[in-house]
Amino acid sequence: MSSNPDKLLIDIGSTYFKISTENTIEQHFRDFNKRILDDLTHKCGATVNRFDAKDVHICSSANGGLSTLIIGLTQSYSLKYATNIAYNAGINIIDSIVFQNIETYSVPSDLIDVVIVVGGIDSNGGVFDERLDNYLAKCQYSNVVFVGNTQDASTLKPRIQKLTVLPNIIDDRLHIVENHLKDYLTNLYQQDIEGKEDIKHLYDITDNQIYSTPYVVNKSLPLIQGSFSVTDPFILLDIGGATTDVHYSKDLVSDNIVTEQGHDRMVFKKLGVYKSRQSLIFTAEQNEFSYELLMHLKVNESIYQENSERATKILMQLAIFLVLCKMSHYRPAYVTLKLLSMNSIVFTGGITQVLTSDDIEDVVAFFYRKILNSDHKPATVLDGNYDIWTLGAKEHAACR
Amino acid sequence: MKIVTGVIGNDIHVVANRLMDLSLNARGYEVFNLGVNTYLEEFFDAAVETGADVLLISSLNGEAEGWSREVKPLKSTYKSLDKLIMMIGGNLTVGSGNAEDIVPRYKKYGFDLVCHQVDLNTGLDMLEDYIKEHRAA
Repeated sequence: MSSNPDKLLIDIGSTYFKISTENTIEQHFRDFNKRILDDLTHKCGATVNRFDAKDVHICSSANGGLSTLIIGLTQSYSLKYATNIAYNAGINIIDSIVFQNIETYSVPSDLIDVVIVVGGIDSNGGVFDERLDNYLAKCQYSNVVFVGNTQDASTLKPRIQKLTVLPNIIDDRLHIVENHLKDYLTNLYQQDIEGKEDIKHLYDITDNQIYSTPYVVNKSLPLIQGSFSVTDPFILLDIGGATTDVHYSKDLVSDNIVTEQGHDRMVFKKLGVYKSRQSLIFTAEQNEFSYELLMHLKVNESIYQENSERATKILMQLAIFLVLCKMSHYRPAYVTLKLLSMNSIVFTGGITQVLTSDDIEDVVAFFYRKILNSDHKPATVLDGNYDIWTLGAKEHAACR
Repeated sequence: MKIVTGVIGNDIHVVANRLMDLSLNARGYEVFNLGVNTYLEEFFDAAVETGADVLLISSLNGEAEGWSREVKPLKSTYKSLDKLIMMIGGNLTVGSGNAEDIVPRYKKYGFDLVCHQVDLNTGLDMLEDYIKEHRAA
């Protein structure tokens, strides 16, 4: 484990929480009948009390992140750029809408935390007409931000209530401009965490800002090669209880997005093994290779109904397979990774406590054989001691 | 006048693309160069984002043929591209080919201007003439 003298690092997940000191790391299953702070002090009170509030650094993915709807002009530019920025800010996207067909999209019934509207370079105005106003009038949202062309910004501002206008995320060369929207979303995420009834009590034990876990993990990516035998390009899979986060080297995408950072993130909201167990099973049932994978693992579909260690293990193996499928050409998500060029896969999160290297390599080899018709074998690295999280948290704490 | 350009499909012939970029800029166009390895949807999306007047696709050794068959159906899914001038140039078939066969074929695919094995300046003159005629009409 990374040593981090005088600091207590805490990560609150949807299923587990972890605490890390200079010499120890503990992981506890959450008691959902208790407030997080009560659960934490009940199980780790002695450790927590040893540290001053200024030395306690907390991150959390337990609040599920902000729900975001993106309305953009095109898939290849405005929607893609806004999606990329939102994911890198630790945000979850519930839907994205191509503006020209906005009348054909259903209106989300739930309250949306933030609606992002984007499209057009600054010299191309008049692209958002009253159909945008009509659609937004039917939505329930807490925040709406416009990051498109400057001409429409001035006309939309008086028409849409509470509209925040930020600089265009598409510059005059059709390149992405990240910073303003990323900062806005990151700040909104912090406000959301502070407002969550369960999380805000954690400020009783820390003087520091509580950050989102993906944001902290992202900080560790440039440092991973110093601590693990990882060769670029690589992906980092964090398969948790509710969601699966994928952080990937940008060398793995043939993309029109050019940014300074070397890694991007995407998230699969309903591919976790505890809270999202049912949707994981549903996704598995929609994948024609899942049955073959179950056969390969010497079980059948009745395993979905079991509540056992063996079932959890199989579901985790399924989750790895399904995530790899979603990142390949077989089931393309918003980006497709060049998985045949990938040299390493790093696994972190709860999955490393349940599966062995052999279990994981078996599924990865199955994926490459069945989906990519290849014997390619990227090196698998298990972060069994949560070093990646502590590395990121330490880096983040040091930066602050 | 705004013009979106690039090399279509799995084609990395970047030299002609750079020369086109320079020539178009010299002729006063506002150029959005998407570079090599560009897919058809990206061309149309770029035209929407920029509000382009012209889409100029370049290609070498017949790479464009397969992609061009998708031009009409894909363009018809966009609601704001009716006035977009569609132009393609380069070596539009495998080998040398005959312009008398190739030009009508690409026009059927949905291009207004087709320049098969035509030198760059002649092709850009054709574009200027077409724009003048278009405006007059």
